[in-house]
Amino acid sequence: MKKIWVSLGIWAVFSGTALFSQQEKFRKSAPPSEPLQELKLPPIESAPLSNKLNISFVLRDNVPFMSLEIVIFAGEALSPDKIPGTATFVAGMLGRGTQSRTAADIEGIVESIGGTFSVSTNQDYVLVSFHFFPEYLDQVLDLISQMLLQPNFTKSEIDYVKFATTYDLLGRERNLEFVANRHLFRLLFKNHPYEKFAFSSDVIKNWNLNALLDFFDRYYRPNNAHLIITGNLNLNTVTRKVSHYLNTWQPRELPPMPLQTVKPPDKDRLCLIDVPQAKDCVIYFGTAFPSPGTQDRFALMVLNQVLGGTPTSRLFMNLRESKAFAYNALSEIDFFNAGGVFCAQARVTPEFIAPSIREIQKEIKALTTSPISSQEIEQAKSYLIYHFPVKIERLDAFSEKVADIKARSGGDECWNKYYEQVMLVNGERVFGAAQKYLLQPFIVVVAGDKSVLSERLLELDSFDVFDSKGQFQYLVNKDKKGAAHEAR
Amino acid sequence: MPKEGRPLSGFGLFLLGSLALGCSVLAQQRPSFPLTHFKLRNGLQVILSEDFSLPLVSVAVAYDVGSVYEVSGKTGLAYLMENLMFSGSANVSPRAHINYINRAGGQFNAAASEDMTLFYQTVPSNQLALVLWLESDRMKSLELSEAEFEKARNDHLDDLRQRKMADPYLESSLSFDQLLYSDFAYSHPLLGTEDDVRNLTLDDVKSFYSTYYVPNNAVLCITGNFNKLKATELVARYFETIPAGKTVSPSLEPWIYTKKQVLKSFENVLASAPAFHLGFRIGSPSSNDFYVLSIIDYILLRGQSSRLTRRLMNRNNKIAYQLSGGIEKKKDRAVYKIFGVVNTPMMADQCLEAIFSELDRLKTAFLSEDELARYKNMFKQDYLGRFSSSMEKAIFLCESYLTIRNFDDLPLELDRYLNVTKNDIVGIINRYFTADNSIVLNIKTK
Repeated sequence: MKKIWVSLGIWAVFSGTALFSQQEKFRKSAPPSEPLQELKLPPIESAPLSNKLNISFVLRDNVPFMSLEIVIFAGEALSPDKIPGTATFVAGMLGRGTQSRTAADIEGIVESIGGTFSVSTNQDYVLVSFHFFPEYLDQVLDLISQMLLQPNFTKSEIDYVKFATTYDLLGRERNLEFVANRHLFRLLFKNHPYEKFAFSSDVIKNWNLNALLDFFDRYYRPNNAHLIITGNLNLNTVTRKVSHYLNTWQPRELPPMPLQTVKPPDKDRLCLIDVPQAKDCVIYFGTAFPSPGTQDRFALMVLNQVLGGTPTSRLFMNLRESKAFAYNALSEIDFFNAGGVFCAQARVTPEFIAPSIREIQKEIKALTTSPISSQEIEQAKSYLIYHFPVKIERLDAFSEKVADIKARSGGDECWNKYYEQVMLVNGERVFGAAQKYLLQPFIVVVAGDKSVLSERLLELDSFDVFDSKGQFQYLVNKDKKGAAHEAR
Repeated sequence: MPKEGRPLSGFGLFLLGSLALGCSVLAQQRPSFPLTHFKLRNGLQVILSEDFSLPLVSVAVAYDVGSVYEVSGKTGLAYLMENLMFSGSANVSPRAHINYINRAGGQFNAAASEDMTLFYQTVPSNQLALVLWLESDRMKSLELSEAEFEKARNDHLDDLRQRKMADPYLESSLSFDQLLYSDFAYSHPLLGTEDDVRNLTLDDVKSFYSTYYVPNNAVLCITGNFNKLKATELVARYFETIPAGKTVSPSLEPWIYTKKQVLKSFENVLASAPAFHLGFRIGSPSSNDFYVLSIIDYILLRGQSSRLTRRLMNRNNKIAYQLSGGIEKKKDRAVYKIFGVVNTPMMADQCLEAIFSELDRLKTAFLSEDELARYKNMFKQDYLGRFSSSMEKAIFLCESYLTIRNFDDLPLELDRYLNVTKNDIVGIINRYFTADNSIVLNIKTK
């Protein structure tokens, strides 16, 4: 009898262990993914007002807020050549007073309705954004109507905006990434209207009331704007309300606004921006190209994802994880109305500047010489598909995305057909895009301390030196014996 | 399976429109979402809240531990532990957690504070099981190797040095905390001191992990697009067999202080401009006073139209060049802090005088209906803004579970803030914002 109990006990111990390990088997590896849920985005409904103001509405229920965005097609590309930054200046003046309200009144009204108000300017357009509780839509429209139809540009507010912008820019100019990125942009868009977007604080002194009034009068017109409302309402109500407040906004014939196509750089170039005593340095590696078609656009997005879209992409894995040269390394792709920019960037310690640049070059070249594995392509596509709803989940991001689609003439391929377009990308198309866009010349901008970086950069090539404002200083090159020479 | 399952009364959308409740234009909106919470047998608290707007799901795990649980000589443990939670577990190699989330197109982050440590991520909804697998593996079997520990500690020391360099007023802030909070638990810095961090050992970390990173000291919250039944099964599958730890009993002493004005100065060699810290010890976060204090925070310092901002940062008569502050709450206690940077020591005195004069105004004259409504609307915007994404909502629910007295009362919380009256404000300002309850640290430059 005792023996039986012992046997049973042994059996129980073994079976218990077996049961336990069986129970915990699911911990050994990541669970398989379930099928991806379909992303169904609400349609973007549109209607024009009689004054040619285009209105779009997107239903977003289950949120306690409403968003209102106004796109004014008056970005930096339209600033007068002699007064870069005018578009930013005019946009900055929008909330600074109307004929019946001071800037402080406006701030008070926005706060009293539990709202936020912001204005931003890019190369192509100005975006005026309001986020607020839905019950205050009338107050917001009333305020917008006053800002657009009865602005009051006083000297004190002009001085304030000039001061605030200068202060802001001076602060940003202490940031290596900002300095390098701005300089890359200037070089890529040399003599193109987009160059004006990269203005420095020096030009602010030229901003003046006449330029402001002229720019405002010319471009802040309903036939040059698009208003987007996102929230729990409907297009009819939105149109009726907007019409009530903005139907007296007068259209005007717009001056011709030719869109000069962006061209790639004509040669490779290496530049150093001297930021004395900077401990680290940053590398910006970019090229520009004319607006791609839809197929190329999505292929470029996948290509960018493979190269440097996330910390699991090639650049990060190589420069940071494998070589330990960099704190971070990534790549970005931006599309504007007249073209696009492909840019790789890294923050590295100065001793690794030369090998880091070589590695980035190597990674870019690799994309153009051998096709990317299908596994890597699929991973990149999955990321783009999976991450899309994450990016637009917040109401403000959601409505800004809709505004950007409208501002950049994007179609449904950027919205409800986004998944479909990403799925259509294959290795062949990505390889084709790499050969088409990445074999062209690149401009490399390094920002850091010249005294530490000069010799290391000379290992690579001759280079131009600029000060932190972007003013050219001199060219550094090597003679046959390897000695450095400066040519002013 | 879950020991108890109890759906919380739903956050029914309740719109009153314009109310005659002492506020002219204030609509009392409550957040609208379903909510269920239950506890597993091992003590893990689980909160589920579905939202089918987008195919996304967020998972947050909050451990009821922060720097207040550190002991003298072992500061910085909570912050170090947060980073070590990415260093790998029995089935997940070091930093693979990050790679899994990235590959799924998701985003993640973590944060340690004085009283809580949070890990959170958003992924496409078909990846819920993946996140639960990852979170459960590090809760059950974090692998703490000497190499990972060394790496994390060095990063931590770098972080400490960088923050010191980046913030010239950091040292004075730490001194100010020692004046405000009399006991060690609350007054030592979240990141610890360099000496303490350098002396931490792997055993210290293991002991901290096994004491506090246990299911009965944690809250798991899932928000977004998921099937409740299936999520409950997944939670049980991944978390229920994790053994409970010892009951964590807070060894924190109740806060007893006597009102007494403190005036000190601090010589700061790093700062280029003089500054001042002003603080008041205020009602505990679990007291009814706290609702009023939260609205007072908006009256004093939030937004361009707040009283102190208008008074001290007025464009035509600016006496402070930087002004910040607000309520700081740690477990059972809270303080109100104001920090200002000025041009000359005399301007610091002017600022303090102006602040007390504004407080005196609030003690003697009621706010107008419009002004109170404005601050409440700003508060409401920030409160409801915490539901802007599934991740923010998950964090909010975890924090609420660990801080509010009765989680079942959560649907009523917003109304409690919005029902604050002008009388309440006068009463609370008189109770806490007095000279004899103030602590001032003047920062002098060399």
